[in-house]
Amino acid sequence: MSGSTPPVYAPAKIDQIGEAWVVQIPRFGAEGTHYHTYGLLTPHFKGLAEGRLLGTRCVEPTCPVSKGEGELWLPPRADCPDCHQRMTWQEIPNPTGYIYAYTYVERGGTGLEIPCPYYQIDVKIDGVCTIVKSYLDGPGPIRIGDRVRACFRAGAEATHTCLDLYWQLV
Amino acid sequence: MITFEPGNLRVPKWTRPVYMVAAGTTDYRKRYPEMKLEELCMMAFRMLLEENDLKRAPLDVKGLVNFAAYGEFADHFQDQLLCEAKVHDYLGLDLLPNVGIKTGGATGGSAMLVGATSIASGMSDCTLVLGWERMDEVKTWTGNYYIASAACKDFETRLARNYASYYAPMARRFQEMYGVDERVRAEIAVKNRGYACNSPFAQQPGRHTVDEVLAGDVVSDPLRFLECCAMSVGSAAALLCSEEVAFALTDRPVRLSIAGGSHTLRTGDRRPMRIPLLPHETEEGYAWLYEEMAKHDGRWPGFESFGAARFAANMVYRMAGIQNPIEDLDLVETHDAFTISDLQTYGDVGLTPYGREQDYVTSGDCYLDNPRTGERGRCPANLSGGLLGTMHAVGATGIFQCGEVFWQLQGNYDKFHGDQAIWRRFGKEKPADWQSLQVKDPRRGLAISHAGVGSHVTCAVLERGW
Repeated sequence: MSGSTPPVYAPAKIDQIGEAWVVQIPRFGAEGTHYHTYGLLTPHFKGLAEGRLLGTRCVEPTCPVSKGEGELWLPPRADCPDCHQRMTWQEIPNPTGYIYAYTYVERGGTGLEIPCPYYQIDVKIDGVCTIVKSYLDGPGPIRIGDRVRACFRAGAEATHTCLDLYWQLV
Repeated sequence: MITFEPGNLRVPKWTRPVYMVAAGTTDYRKRYPEMKLEELCMMAFRMLLEENDLKRAPLDVKGLVNFAAYGEFADHFQDQLLCEAKVHDYLGLDLLPNVGIKTGGATGGSAMLVGATSIASGMSDCTLVLGWERMDEVKTWTGNYYIASAACKDFETRLARNYASYYAPMARRFQEMYGVDERVRAEIAVKNRGYACNSPFAQQPGRHTVDEVLAGDVVSDPLRFLECCAMSVGSAAALLCSEEVAFALTDRPVRLSIAGGSHTLRTGDRRPMRIPLLPHETEEGYAWLYEEMAKHDGRWPGFESFGAARFAANMVYRMAGIQNPIEDLDLVETHDAFTISDLQTYGDVGLTPYGREQDYVTSGDCYLDNPRTGERGRCPANLSGGLLGTMHAVGATGIFQCGEVFWQLQGNYDKFHGDQAIWRRFGKEKPADWQSLQVKDPRRGLAISHAGVGSHVTCAVLERGW
């Protein structure tokens, strides 16, 4: 990651239980750790660690909204909220989008891993029906409408959290 | 595109009317080490029983209670599960049933909603609604971490751990799409903090200027410190009754209608939909807005509006027979946790059309005395001082707001805000320049309770019942 210092926290420890990643979130030391599962969304977080962005879409023909041709959801969901059927995973190749909304965070709460100050951005990605909240690597100023491309904290750098996806101005 | 089936849009129809007959509150402070939480709740409960001119003795009124609905935002803050049982016992209400309500910032409003339905259904003839929050056991920035636990932990909490940073992008988008000068936002903070100067309950009264607000430190751009509410400690209470019990207790009961709405925590997940129309609105009236949104890749409610607030307002207006809110309401209490969320909500509840929210401020309609015209404001907002000036002890907030509207409708603003004895109860002196903020002969008021980025909203219409 260029332009800013890396997050202060070490990568989260994970356990693989069946197909699911269970991320360890320490709170009161080792005995007070939360074991938080990513459940059926595990492919998304595995994808981030591999430098790939995966969303889900509804392909159920009887769905009253998608009619079998749903747009991508990101953050993904395993089940379609409109027809309740299982959604299908799909990779977004070379993800780009534009800044739909943003804020410059000057003070974060206790435990914030991203070094302050930084731009928190909401990114509209072509073909995705939702708008993804994430953060920008690099200094401003920025404007609504600025184009951005996805970057990943992958491999040994991965934190196994949503922080593994970030963006840079194109 | 989300669409509704007719069944989803059924207007709530209660089996009998619901009345509010009494309110109580503590004062509010950032830190309140002098008293334990349940002692603060007792203070609000005592005020409710003893100071509302009820026609029965306090313990006789207590003897009518059938049920209690309690509002508490976060177990994190209290560091106590089942706080409801501790408070209930402390108030001496065992073995009566109670439930705890949790819907984020809208907890107080939701507690009112549950309390009201207990009366409307016939389950109870007399229900205590009481809420609290004690946010002073941790430092402010750890409190912010706790509050940010109300963002999505998988995809959003780590991106700020400070709740202002989830409203700030909405502020940015809203003001750019609708061309809002940030002085409008700042004016809301100045107004509400100024009104708080007349309240003995207020935590952050202050006579500020727009320039001072805008010159302040930034929390999360564009929001400045004076545009954000503070950590708060205190408790508020309301007593709800059937018609028969209400008129047995007071000659001036207030009729309550209340409805709710909800929307996903993740703002970006709010898929576009057509605007549900209030009684006075038309599709044609919003043709320009849909065209405007199309130019900016906009969507409704998107980042600019709160669908949950529109849903709740639409339902409660139809329950209460409100045709045009700015005409039919005499005052409102809005959820001004942040200046921007306050501004955005004016369109949702129909005080202005969508896209024209700032007109409510720039016209002066939001003031008791309109500084632009020198006449009375059309529908004054947050005469209590609101969340910015007076309190946001979260679980109490929606209840406190209803209490303030209730006292206004009874003509009791001065009784509860102008009595030197109440100021001294909280260790304060009534200011020499104290002003009455009593609305002249009000009939109906609105109280809006709102949770994180609009995930839950309740709208309550209170109306003179006599």
